[in-house]
Amino acid sequence: MLSIQARQALAKLFLPFFFLLASAFLVLGVARRPLVDHVRLEIEDVLAPAYALMAQPGEKLRHVWDDVRAFARLGSENVRLRQENEKLRRWYDVAVALANENAQLKANLHWIPENAPRFVSGHTIRDAGGLYGRAILLAAGAGQDIHVGDVALDAKGLIGRVTEVGSRTSRILLVTDQASRLPVMLESSHGTAIMAGDGSATPRLLFYAQNNHPLEGERVFTSEQLPPAGEAADEFSGLPGGLPVGVVHYVRAGEPVVVPDGDVEHPDIVRVFDYGHTSTQGPEAPGRMKRAPAAGAPFPLVPGRPG
Amino acid sequence: MRLDLPPPSSQPGIEPRASLRRRLDVALRLALPWVSLLVCVFLLSAFSSLPGESALLFGICLGSVYFWSAHLPESMPSWAVFLVGLEADLISFGPPGTILIALLVVHGVAHTWRYGLSRINFLPGWGLFAALCIILSLFQWVVACVGALRFIPPMSALFQAGLSIGIYPTLSALFVRVHRAIVNPDRA
Repeated sequence: MLSIQARQALAKLFLPFFFLLASAFLVLGVARRPLVDHVRLEIEDVLAPAYALMAQPGEKLRHVWDDVRAFARLGSENVRLRQENEKLRRWYDVAVALANENAQLKANLHWIPENAPRFVSGHTIRDAGGLYGRAILLAAGAGQDIHVGDVALDAKGLIGRVTEVGSRTSRILLVTDQASRLPVMLESSHGTAIMAGDGSATPRLLFYAQNNHPLEGERVFTSEQLPPAGEAADEFSGLPGGLPVGVVHYVRAGEPVVVPDGDVEHPDIVRVFDYGHTSTQGPEAPGRMKRAPAAGAPFPLVPGRPG
Repeated sequence: MRLDLPPPSSQPGIEPRASLRRRLDVALRLALPWVSLLVCVFLLSAFSSLPGESALLFGICLGSVYFWSAHLPESMPSWAVFLVGLEADLISFGPPGTILIALLVVHGVAHTWRYGLSRINFLPGWGLFAALCIILSLFQWVVACVGALRFIPPMSALFQAGLSIGIYPTLSALFVRVHRAIVNPDRA
């Protein structure tokens, strides 16, 4: 049994010891952030069922609240739906005619259909961005065949990409996060740009051609990005082109931003698409292949060196 | 000569017998602050729809540790502070280690100056807590900038500091009532 003095001296040593441990954890977090994030995801995997259980009452309450609100504006909602239904009937006829025409043209051209991407849907469990990040945790992981780099969309458009995958959960970095950089295409001006998140609800557009500025209100789609070459090709998915992202808006002159189509503030049900790892990189062009210099060439191939 | 004294428990000013039940009661009363903080951190992380959830988590953790370390250090030992900080850091997705260090700093300051803090009014104590919140939020922001290798606007850090300072009077009023009613070893 320790004396009172010894116990007091020992108690005084506890705080510096815990400070040392905390400092070591801080340094580890800065130097080996992926390792810490992996541990965090493992913990989230364990906690995921508890989170899902706790989310149930809130979800039911939200549904009841939505029902009550819908009941209060039943009349106006009915009128709006009738008008929308009439409009949609006209569009349905147009869509059917266009689909038939499209099928006919594809048949004439012997069109090779693209592979339909596989997708899984899941509920958002919780915010996984912290104070400075914009990310969500999805209740689907490696068990549902999700890979790092897969794209995540909600009902309206792109919201982010998968950055870490656990067995039951996966972390999706939203397009609004400061670390998010996505290549995009602009529909009307036919330009390309990089969409960079800055922590706000509207990511900025960067690196667009200075003689072809983005137009206010034009639609933004993803531009195809190949998976990285080498050994990492099997681990990371590329980004398919043509996915709807949002519309261009100028907050002030010379500062175009993208107003995302998807709900990046509070995403609920999210679909994660697996477009596969196959790249559409073409074969190497023969014209670009290096040829051995012919004997007795009249000019040196490299200036300053004999041919 | 043998004196027939009444049992110690019935004498005024002498503590009752430390039976197992009483010791357990005292231990549970003293564990309530840090155990409830552990549960609170988990609950706050689960409700993603709560606005400013990360900032609120930081504020509640700092406020709790500051109050209990100053007013009843036995209810917030340094190992419990470490445990709460580690849980908060692992469950939240912020810069790793920053909440842990922030909580240990607040605990160290409040525990060291507990006699001084018990003599001063609420306002100077709140002022000290405000200074700690601002410094530690900015420290977290600097670590986030170093981790991201770029300048991050400090508005989030200032919002977090403001929220933490703003909720402390409410937290403090709640803790004073809990301290008197439940977390009080004399009531065991």
